[in-house]
Amino acid sequence: MWLRPFETILPLLFIVILVFTTHGIAQASTVRFVDGESKTLTDVEFTLHQGIIYFPVETLKIVFDPEMTHPYHHPKKQLTLKTKGKELRLQMGETAVNIDSGKEPLILNSPPRVIQGQPMLPIEFFQKVLPRLDDVEVLYNRTLQRVRIIPKTVWAPETTDDTHEWVIIIDPGHGGEDDFGCKSQNGVTEKDVVLAVGKEIQRLGNQQGLSIRLTRDQDVKKSRIQRVQTTNRNQGQLFLSLHCNASFSPNHKGMRLYINNPNGQLRVKATPIPVFGKKRLNILTQANFLKQSQNFASVLQKELNFLAEDPIVISEFPIITLADVYMPAILLELGYLSNVDDATRLSNPDHIVQVAETIVRAIQIYSVSVNQSANPNGL
Amino acid sequence: MQYFRKIVHSRLFVIWGITLVALIICLAVTLVLISHSKRIRIVDAPPKLPDAPNPTDVLPAPEQINIFLLNPTSLEITPVKTELRLYPEPTERLRQIVSVLVQETPPDYRNPIPRGTLLNEVYIDSQKTAYLDFSHHLADGHIGGTTAELLTVTAILKTVFDAFPNDIKHVQILIDGRERETLAGHLNLSQPLRF
Ligand SMILES: [Zn+2]
Repeated sequence: MWLRPFETILPLLFIVILVFTTHGIAQASTVRFVDGESKTLTDVEFTLHQGIIYFPVETLKIVFDPEMTHPYHHPKKQLTLKTKGKELRLQMGETAVNIDSGKEPLILNSPPRVIQGQPMLPIEFFQKVLPRLDDVEVLYNRTLQRVRIIPKTVWAPETTDDTHEWVIIIDPGHGGEDDFGCKSQNGVTEKDVVLAVGKEIQRLGNQQGLSIRLTRDQDVKKSRIQRVQTTNRNQGQLFLSLHCNASFSPNHKGMRLYINNPNGQLRVKATPIPVFGKKRLNILTQANFLKQSQNFASVLQKELNFLAEDPIVISEFPIITLADVYMPAILLELGYLSNVDDATRLSNPDHIVQVAETIVRAIQIYSVSVNQSANPNGL
Repeated sequence: MQYFRKIVHSRLFVIWGITLVALIICLAVTLVLISHSKRIRIVDAPPKLPDAPNPTDVLPAPEQINIFLLNPTSLEITPVKTELRLYPEPTERLRQIVSVLVQETPPDYRNPIPRGTLLNEVYIDSQKTAYLDFSHHLADGHIGGTTAELLTVTAILKTVFDAFPNDIKHVQILIDGRERETLAGHLNLSQPLRF
């Protein structure tokens, strides 16, 4: 009996060391650049300087503009970048970036530097400068060391139809004294995490001109019926219920998306449709919105995959949370509070903001695609 | 005269006394009989306990069945073989199998049924829907989360359908005798389910 602790601790220690070393090698030295579709463009080795990530100038040719020229004047330590019809002048060690001389320079927090004899650009350059040169947005996922360059034309909300205002219902699950949802070992509760994400979505979404309503904006108990009433009364275009997951195994991790489908991976016993006289009642149910829910789920999946270690799975089950909501509806499980890594991530305010930003972007992409298909000529 | 009246009086008194005593005795005897009859019924209650070596009461031979539990490595609900002496009657058989799922967790597996959950009652209707009535612990003791809820329901359904491939088509989960909308707020349990 007394040997047991050693027997279990030793292999565990070995695994921990192995994971840490491989983790270090795989994650610390390269950053993966992906495109709007999350397809890998390249893995770039970076150099850390005072805690800041620097990339070789050539990276820009692979991930941004293959036509770019970048003459470098060694004695003067001056770099000139010619790309997308613009000319940029950078002085190594200085934070100002001159775009098309004469205009106000853009100021970075960390300057381009000469590292091992080569001019290098900080990650901030990609995030701040590239959107000035082309219609792109650059996202950086620090945890997974990924940079995503998205062409803005794909999703930029067009104000073509002013009368058509999108109302999105965000439903932070659980709440109140006796329903905290699930809970992590160190006491992070589902009701708090989902409320924080919900409020952030509302703040960011409203900034973007979306009309976001919450089914609860404080720590109060709301019944399912109350949530459904709020939702249907607001006549929204989308319903997104936010939850945190839990499992009986601490190894389950990551985000998951659920669609309400009574004939999904679990099937509800068919109940006969009420008949009045010879007419069958055409009852409005979630089933009417299944296709739209699937479309919205795949947009959310594609966007959220950028934040996810493993691809996010979409599943269809009879989900009570989404039943009786008369609009496309999705349940998003933000991560497992029963998993240590997920719980740590979900208690990090930066991660909450990043998740909210991604969700708002997904809503915009979806709304644009719906408006475009409703109005194919863009009139 | 007075003496006579006294006698009559005392006789009346005695008659009344005897009647009263008889009544009390009758009442007592009735009460004893009632309590006795109840006791007899209680002793009779569990019909399945054989106390005589009757050939039909002999324990059935052990059978191998699967109960479905969470494999924490593959993260799948997987069959775990177990040996049980199962009665042939379907309802009794179902009760035995689900009771094992509720109670037992072999090492290396996780039981997705919350601890303390009891199986109250089982019933199979003419449409081959099995009703499994669990104690409130199944819902109140649940850890929450859509995945955990799905794991709980999947383990129950797989265990039942594996043991009754032809006799059970749907499973309705009940909590303390009532239909409940959900265990932890995500999955819809208000109607009978199948895969
Ligand atoms: Zn939840």
